[in-house]
Amino acid sequence: MTPLFKGPQRIGARISLTYSLLLIAALSFFAIGTSALLFLQMRAQLVHFAVQDVETVEGLMSIAPDGRFLMRDDYHNHPESKRVLEHYLEVLAPDGTILYRNDRLGSLKLGGAIESSEGVGGYSPRSISLPDGTPLVIVSRRHNLQGRTVIIRLAHSEEPVWHALKQFWAAAAVMFPVMLLLAAAVGFRMSHRILAPVRSIASQAELITSSRLHERIPTNGTGDELDQLAETFNRTLTRLDLSFTQLRQFTADASHELRTPLAAIRSVGEVGLARDGSREEYRELVASMLEEVNRLTRLVEELLLIARGDAGVIPLNLRPLKVVEFVRDTIALLEPLAEEKSQRLELLAPLDEQIQADPLFLRQALINVLHNAIKYSPVNAKTVVRIECGPAAHGVIIAVHDEGPGLSPEQISRVFDRFYRVDQGRSRDAGGFGLGLAIAQWAVKAHQGKFEITSTPGAGSEFRILLPAASKSDQRSA
Amino acid sequence: MEPVKILVVEDEHKLATAIQQGLAANQHTVSVAHSGEDGFFLAQTQTFDLLVFDVMLPGRDGLEIVASLRRLGHRTPILLLTSKDGVDDRVAGLDSGADDYLVKPFALSELQARVRALGRRNTPDFGATLKLDDLELDRVRHTVTRAGKSLDLTVREFELLEYFMRQPDQVISREMLAREVWKESARHTPIDNLIDVHIARLRRKMDDPYQRKLLQTIRGVGFVLRLSE
Repeated sequence: MTPLFKGPQRIGARISLTYSLLLIAALSFFAIGTSALLFLQMRAQLVHFAVQDVETVEGLMSIAPDGRFLMRDDYHNHPESKRVLEHYLEVLAPDGTILYRNDRLGSLKLGGAIESSEGVGGYSPRSISLPDGTPLVIVSRRHNLQGRTVIIRLAHSEEPVWHALKQFWAAAAVMFPVMLLLAAAVGFRMSHRILAPVRSIASQAELITSSRLHERIPTNGTGDELDQLAETFNRTLTRLDLSFTQLRQFTADASHELRTPLAAIRSVGEVGLARDGSREEYRELVASMLEEVNRLTRLVEELLLIARGDAGVIPLNLRPLKVVEFVRDTIALLEPLAEEKSQRLELLAPLDEQIQADPLFLRQALINVLHNAIKYSPVNAKTVVRIECGPAAHGVIIAVHDEGPGLSPEQISRVFDRFYRVDQGRSRDAGGFGLGLAIAQWAVKAHQGKFEITSTPGAGSEFRILLPAASKSDQRSA
Repeated sequence: MEPVKILVVEDEHKLATAIQQGLAANQHTVSVAHSGEDGFFLAQTQTFDLLVFDVMLPGRDGLEIVASLRRLGHRTPILLLTSKDGVDDRVAGLDSGADDYLVKPFALSELQARVRALGRRNTPDFGATLKLDDLELDRVRHTVTRAGKSLDLTVREFELLEYFMRQPDQVISREMLAREVWKESARHTPIDNLIDVHIARLRRKMDDPYQRKLLQTIRGVGFVLRLSE
């Protein structure tokens, strides 16, 4: 459906149009009802008068000794019975012979042939028209006049009724459009005013671009629907602002990490070309460049993995996984790294749960956590991996407890950030890129799991990977 | 292995030249084409032992050429070079009829290893005993001796040494070790450190007590097992 109104005032126009249409319907209903009621009441009044007249006329009729029908017309000379003159009167014999017609009626015939039930037991009120078109309300009465039956037909003009109706309609025809216009105008003004804050929100929102995401839409504090709208808008903006900030930070960090090895490759190459060296020296140069290339390659691969994870295009290859076996294998893989530092890796696994997981990515998450534990713990330290039963929604917890330097709350809040290194002073060569835990977190989240960290600075940290358990049916099918 | 005739189809000239020189260093005969059309023409008109195709080529897509060659009945082994390493891309590559794929950027040593692997398809497997100088590895009894003296190796160290002894004089990158020995298909793990630790331990057992050092580090590239140059 094409909107009837276009442009910024569409809703206001639609509201006033709807109300105008409703008003038209209400007014029409009112007018039709009122005129119907008016008509019925006025007509009933006429019938009432006619019946009274008939009773009067009954008293004026007589039959002469010679059998002639007589009507005392002189009665109508009284001023108080003037009204009676206004009626149309006809008296008929049952065979249809006209006994009497009043002057008003003259030669015109009042009604058609006599019906057998006409005027019996009542007055048979009905509407007819005279041959000249005058609308009438007519009543009939069978009357026993000195042993003879006569039929009295008495009518009043219906014209005053119609006249009154016409006046009513004329007044309505003038008043209704005026009322409608007034209502539409007031409705339009009202909706315009009600919607004014919406327009203001829209124009404010228009001004907020990606570079001005910190700005907010002013709220009026009333808590009404429009205020809630503005607040919803502001919450969305806050989230957008946060994502943008993170993205900007990520881009800045990524370009720094990418440029550093590129700069090294470039200057090593330039310096090498600028002077003559021995074969050995050239080999050293090339090897050093290759080391940077390897570093770049790894960084690009990690960035690609993160980008794909963000885009949600990495399908997980879920299959039943025995947690204890999985953790034991991963520990065995990293054991040599711990041994190099005379550290111990211990597994405490009181239960053997089975979960649905992609071993490749989950393993990577655990490797990254364990590798950090080994890297940051001192010589002779002990790292304990515990497998626990988790709360209902998260079936299994793999907890890695190290004896490293621990993390401050601020570090905990940032430890999953991309390119975040706890030890900022650590040289690039010694540390990784600061992406390991970000990748680990992605992998755990992809498994509908989550990380929890508790730490006592100076006494070590515990990284807990909470994973949902496989349902019973999954375990059976395994 | 025997020198073979290889066609390399790669539109990036620098890379094509590097591959050509790298493979020629192994005594292979290498022809180079820089577009899909040229490559297809050469593959049709000459006989090669191995075809190396880049997937993204100007003119004709590498996958399409591979599929056409297979349809025409060519059975030459084909190695694909691709910069896409999504699972779907790999499946598409192998579906088209290629025998193996290599994701860019790759180490030259890795390419040489793949070429060897594809060329080895028709040659018999190694014997039970691998030898280099006075180092001997018995694949059946899982024993290693050097100068007649038995070495006590862990399972992992044995696998590592076996991998080196199967390709002496070949440079082996850390990526190859991660994939072939550790069976880690994800390359985003801190496994390089692990490899270095194991290499160091292996050296302590098989090289440190002896005069001639066999397992050597090629800085920036990887490792090689050989009689010192």
